[in-house]
Amino acid sequence: MGVTCVCQVPVAEGKSVQQTVDMLHKKLEQLGAIKQGNFWVDCETYHATGNATGQPSKLLYVMHNSETPLSSMALFEGGPGLTADANFDVLMVKLKSHFQNAKGHKVESRGTRYRYCDFLVKIGTVAMSSSARGISVEVEYCACVIPGDCWNLMKEFMQSFLGSSTPELPAVFTNKAEGLYTPVDCMDTMSQYLELFGKVRKQQVLPGSGVR
Amino acid sequence: MGAVRIRSCFLQLIAQVQEVSLDGLETYVPLLSMSQNLAKLAQRIDFNQSSDSDEDGPERESREPWGKPEPEEDEGTVKFQPSLWPWDSVRNNLRSALTEMCVLHDVLSVLKDKKYMALDPVSQDPALTKTPQVFQLISKKKSLATAAQLLLKGAEKLTKSLAENQEQRRQRDFNSELLRLRSQWKLRKVGHKILGDLSYRSAGSLFPHHGTFEVIKNTDIDLDKKVPDDYCPLNVQIPSDLEGSAYIKVSIQKQSADIGDLGTVSLFRRQPKAKPGSQMWHLKLEAAQNVLLCKEIFAQLSREAVQIKSQIPHIVVKNQIISQPFPGLQLSISLCHSTGEKKSQRASPDKSKPDDHLYVLEHNLHQLIREVHTMPHPASSPFGHKRLRLAGPMAYDKAEISSLQQSEGLLEKIIKQAKHIFLRSRTARTIDSLASRIEDPQIQAHWSNINSVYESSVKVLITSQGYEQICKSIQLQLNIGVEQIRVVHRDGRVITLSHQEQELQDFLLSQMSQHQVHAVQQLAKVMGWHVLSFSNHVGLGPIESIGNASAITVASPSGEHAISVRNGPESGCKVLVQFPRNQAKELPKSDAVQDARWTHLRGPYREVHCGRMEGRNFVYKMELLMAALSPCP
Repeated sequence: MGVTCVCQVPVAEGKSVQQTVDMLHKKLEQLGAIKQGNFWVDCETYHATGNATGQPSKLLYVMHNSETPLSSMALFEGGPGLTADANFDVLMVKLKSHFQNAKGHKVESRGTRYRYCDFLVKIGTVAMSSSARGISVEVEYCACVIPGDCWNLMKEFMQSFLGSSTPELPAVFTNKAEGLYTPVDCMDTMSQYLELFGKVRKQQVLPGSGVR
Repeated sequence: MGAVRIRSCFLQLIAQVQEVSLDGLETYVPLLSMSQNLAKLAQRIDFNQSSDSDEDGPERESREPWGKPEPEEDEGTVKFQPSLWPWDSVRNNLRSALTEMCVLHDVLSVLKDKKYMALDPVSQDPALTKTPQVFQLISKKKSLATAAQLLLKGAEKLTKSLAENQEQRRQRDFNSELLRLRSQWKLRKVGHKILGDLSYRSAGSLFPHHGTFEVIKNTDIDLDKKVPDDYCPLNVQIPSDLEGSAYIKVSIQKQSADIGDLGTVSLFRRQPKAKPGSQMWHLKLEAAQNVLLCKEIFAQLSREAVQIKSQIPHIVVKNQIISQPFPGLQLSISLCHSTGEKKSQRASPDKSKPDDHLYVLEHNLHQLIREVHTMPHPASSPFGHKRLRLAGPMAYDKAEISSLQQSEGLLEKIIKQAKHIFLRSRTARTIDSLASRIEDPQIQAHWSNINSVYESSVKVLITSQGYEQICKSIQLQLNIGVEQIRVVHRDGRVITLSHQEQELQDFLLSQMSQHQVHAVQQLAKVMGWHVLSFSNHVGLGPIESIGNASAITVASPSGEHAISVRNGPESGCKVLVQFPRNQAKELPKSDAVQDARWTHLRGPYREVHCGRMEGRNFVYKMELLMAALSPCP
């Protein structure tokens, strides 16, 4: 469990999603990272039913991460989050009358997992109903849990293979009430993924990115 | 005057007419005044008449129409004496009453004195008032007899029940014995038979033995004869394959000369001491359960021995598992099941083993087999460790989850423990043998009290006697694991040694030789000598087979003398002293160096025979040498 930073890499000019991903893989392997299996992160959307008309119903997002295979995370956009057992999904089925599953809105990111000393880099293809929409890159520095202490190191590392697409300090850490020097939680990772998935949903369908 | 007089008691309010004159004028009788009326009424009071006169009263009134002349007569007699005071009769009556009262008062006051008059009761006829005493006696006797009968009946019942209880206790009723059995073992009724369960299945064991025993009534008792002391109306029949007693024998034996033999141990052998009140069935059942436990342990071990892969494969022969944790070391676990009552075989010379060690091993084995048992759990919680329930809400990642899940079997754990214990004892023996063999640098070993089953640690210090404060640069922390020993040096180096005994010995010997040179360095500081050169691993001189030689050169404060020491683990120590040129026996003359002052420089070397020097140890000898070479000012 370390400090994570999730960012989106734009597809290179004239290339497909898969080719950009392969380029990133090659850069990492040149750096000296070792491939360590696959990963996936997915997100399902639920509408809250039965509220007063006129107000947009709040959306509940239930996410899973292969890093924590026995947990489910439930969060509202910008609101509170909940970490629970895997049985939470069954609970959501029981709460069908209160929360409707928006089946077409499931987003997931799948890809390979690389390990470079204390860094874990996960490059995944963000897909929505099996059409690739973008690329997500997650960098985790496992040796530290305080974002303020290791952000500079992470940024330098990301610059080495992401180049110009290196992100700024994620808003999740700066928005915390206690500041940058509080320990991270798995919720921070999930909120970053949620933000990224939201952005991807709003984007138009990429040209030439049909069924993978 | 023909007025009708009505006898009444009320006051006359209307005046009576006395006469009516011829001219119609009425002459009224004058009304009586109040006092006259009262006097008239008072005269009518008759003091002599009793209450009977009330009855005569209405007769008189009924006679009234005929008896008119009488009241007239009365009134006439009254009227006859009009000069008398109207209250006179009243006064007379009262006076006579007073007289009577005074007489009574006098009589009573005379009576009070009891001198002149006494009161005596008049004897009464007893036959009229009381019942005869005989009748009373009879009735009382009868009631007492009924009460006594009731009490006797009750007492009889109590004594009878008490006698019954004692009788029962003496005879040990089958049902009460069954109750005692039920309080300790699981029983159930199947048809006519009572069956019990002595297996560990309720604790989660998956061993396929049924473990049922049958409870039978003991009817071969002759009630006429005396009941024997250990008679029990209940008997248990245990399955035939659990009869007798069993134990597990573990032995670690060496197969080559340099490895120590750890010996043999029998686990679960000793029967727990029978409590004074326990029954034979209890002992029988416990023995059978012990046999079952040993069988289960052995079955689990043999199953794992066949399944797991290791470098040297395990051998499973009929009731023995043989494995080799280290080459040359043999660990054998065997199940010894003896049926029958041959007591002579029990007398084995195992009493030399200390008791507490056995209990620790047995407890360890119990814990291991309990970890294999799957505890019954509710349907909603999955298999596995209890802490895995927290994995979801606490978002454990894969590393944490895998650390919680066990993947090792029972045999592996046992073998790991055996390896660790063996390695630890061998390390201890190596250090001790070195310490006893070599005197010059001394080895001290401080073993840590707190160990785990797979790891122990010891701190080894190499010092010289008398110079412990000065020369303490060699301090080693040895962490003994399952297969390797990790050494952490004081200067930060980490070295990993294998289980070979020789490696540790060579390493310690090389450290000891290094210590000597380090000691000279520290000594030089204390004595004021300057260190000219120091090397832990010199590349010159004869090659050592164990480690490297180290060397140091120190110069005296005046600079006139210098001492060079070279110490190797095999080659021993070599000490050379450098003298100034003017002290040399043959002074090589040369034309280039003419000045006398150059003769003060150091020149030739001479070797010191350390063995012939005085001194308890090497550092002491060096100190003497340094002291000898620095002249007094």
